[in-house]
Amino acid sequence: MIKLFVLICLGMQVLFAQTDWEKWGKADIPYTINSGTVSRNYSIGSDNPGQIILKSLVIGYWVIISDVDGDNCPFSPTCSSFFLQSVKETNIVQGTLMFADRFTRDMNTFGRLSHYPISRNRHLYDPPTLYTLDKDKIKYIPAGVIVNE
Amino acid sequence: MNSVNKIVFIILLTAKVILPQGQLGDQFNKAKELYSKGEYFNTITELKRLIFFDRDKRYAYISNELIGECYKMGAKFTDALNYFTRAEMSATSSEDIYKCRINIIKINILRRTTGRAISLLDILEKDSRFNGKREEIDYWRGWAYIFADDWDKAAIQFSKISPDHELKKMCDSIDNERYSVTKAKLLSYFIPGAGQVYTGHYLSGLLSLGWNILWGYTTVTAFQAGRIFDGVVVGELLWFRFYNGNNQNAEKFTIERNREISNGALSYLQNGYRGEKP
Amino acid sequence: MYSTESRRLFADYLYCQKDYLRAIDEYQEIAGTAGSDTINFKIGLAYLKIGKYEPAGLSFIKIKENSYYYSNARLEFFKTQFLLSNYDTLERNGDNLLPVKQLNVFSYLLDYKTLPVKNKLLSIFEGEDRRAVSDFYERKLNPPYKSELTAIILSTLIPGAGKIYTEEYSDGIIAFIVTGIMGYISYTDFKADHKLRGWVFAGLSTFFYAGNIYGSAASAQIFNAKVNFKLSTDMKLFIENKDYFIPDYEFCK
Repeated sequence: MIKLFVLICLGMQVLFAQTDWEKWGKADIPYTINSGTVSRNYSIGSDNPGQIILKSLVIGYWVIISDVDGDNCPFSPTCSSFFLQSVKETNIVQGTLMFADRFTRDMNTFGRLSHYPISRNRHLYDPPTLYTLDKDKIKYIPAGVIVNE
Repeated sequence: MNSVNKIVFIILLTAKVILPQGQLGDQFNKAKELYSKGEYFNTITELKRLIFFDRDKRYAYISNELIGECYKMGAKFTDALNYFTRAEMSATSSEDIYKCRINIIKINILRRTTGRAISLLDILEKDSRFNGKREEIDYWRGWAYIFADDWDKAAIQFSKISPDHELKKMCDSIDNERYSVTKAKLLSYFIPGAGQVYTGHYLSGLLSLGWNILWGYTTVTAFQAGRIFDGVVVGELLWFRFYNGNNQNAEKFTIERNREISNGALSYLQNGYRGEKP
Repeated sequence: MYSTESRRLFADYLYCQKDYLRAIDEYQEIAGTAGSDTINFKIGLAYLKIGKYEPAGLSFIKIKENSYYYSNARLEFFKTQFLLSNYDTLERNGDNLLPVKQLNVFSYLLDYKTLPVKNKLLSIFEGEDRRAVSDFYERKLNPPYKSELTAIILSTLIPGAGKIYTEEYSDGIIAFIVTGIMGYISYTDFKADHKLRGWVFAGLSTFFYAGNIYGSAASAQIFNAKVNFKLSTDMKLFIENKDYFIPDYEFCK
């Protein structure tokens, strides 16, 4: 009778992608063990004098304090990296405000897991792009989802 | 059907049976050529075509096995296992069955599903058909333990083959070279920073020691002067934090160092070692 | 083994094994021959299954008007366009097909186009669906957004209040406590004439106060992003649940 396939199913979207749905070639099979941890970037990596000073201060903080006082930050990126990235993304004033807000949220230990997505290294994923006040940069990810970052 | 038609029919029928055999052989050679050129995806296509038209399943075993090899080359382990299993099902001799099982075990070694690899090896060992393969079985068991980062057990397996086995010596030396997590943690537990120094992280060890002395001293003097609140705050928020960090680092650095040692050996095994590999 | 018929048989086998990419390659080898409409239709479906909507669409539009598959191919084509978010193509739909019109309604709701009058949109739906779509329409038209300005004003007046407004209750309370404590310590220090300590804590209090005002605005934006996300997820789920309308082409019985 009438073809009643009224609405189109988005279920068509690839749910169980199979190996051969993309062409592939030879792949390396490394015997070595991958550490899986995210390592910090200790290089200055900028010509901007403000950024150089800021990064030097942060590196100093990392070496003298952060690296020896244990893994205390529940977030990814960590508060100091968040600060650096915020300043890079915006400017020193806005970056500081973003950092102050993050600092406050860091002190809040209630209901975090029902709030943030989870990063690859099992921390709460909270990138600066959510807080730049630029709506187009906000990519909403529901809480608890594991993000490959 | 008259007799002429019958003859034509019979000729056609035999042609249909005979002709494909040559074609199938050619098809298999074509696939092998693609395989030798490293075109694994296309090799699989041609082998699947061969399997599809090979009604008598004469090529089932070698085709499935080669498909498994292709997937392995592309690091598609699950698919490789699937096809090695299919090959095993169409294998006719115990030698072929053994080959397939070893292929399956090698995949399990590579993807570090060690428990599975070991239990499959145990099954092989108990099978009387494979009594002459004891040494090989021990050899792969050794590799399984290497991939599980258990160099001590690996050495034991290789020593069963020969007390002077090249890999036995290597596993022993790696096992000796490794740092002990317990030792590092105990050291740092009693002297902050000592575990870090043990693993060669001198700066970090000294910083840990410095911070612990500073905050420990501040806490103790605060208590002595009767400033209980200050003592609790500094002790809880600073001393405890750095002491904890010190213990965490002792463990973390040991694990990192051991990983470096293992990786050094593993990359030698992958690139320098001449014997059989998974 | 390489005759047209053999290739077709092998391609059908691959297709039914869900080995779609290889099936496509095989079909394409024989696409120029007889029965090419069926083949193009299958190529389109195979591309659709592996999530390559663009080539899928291209295969479906190749199918000629006199073909048995023509009407289905048109629908499948518009499906690919919807999945590619090519909403304009749906808009210009000359075929006047009901499912495409209905999809187009969702393209309005999912996209940021200006919404047409509600009754006009709803007229092509019936019963349950009509109610659901009407609900989506209302949510799209009057989303329960939080105003950034309100959040800023509230947090300026009472630290943390903006976050409570954006439903970040614990964050709001913590912001209030932290700003308050720093302010109080600063106040007692100034009172006891500890000028330096007074200024340090006044600075910290200001730091958290300003950060909270900023954070409240950001929090309102995130809240709104969440509202949009929820609406589009609900709609996609609704469309997905319409799965049962789609006949199986039964190529792999």
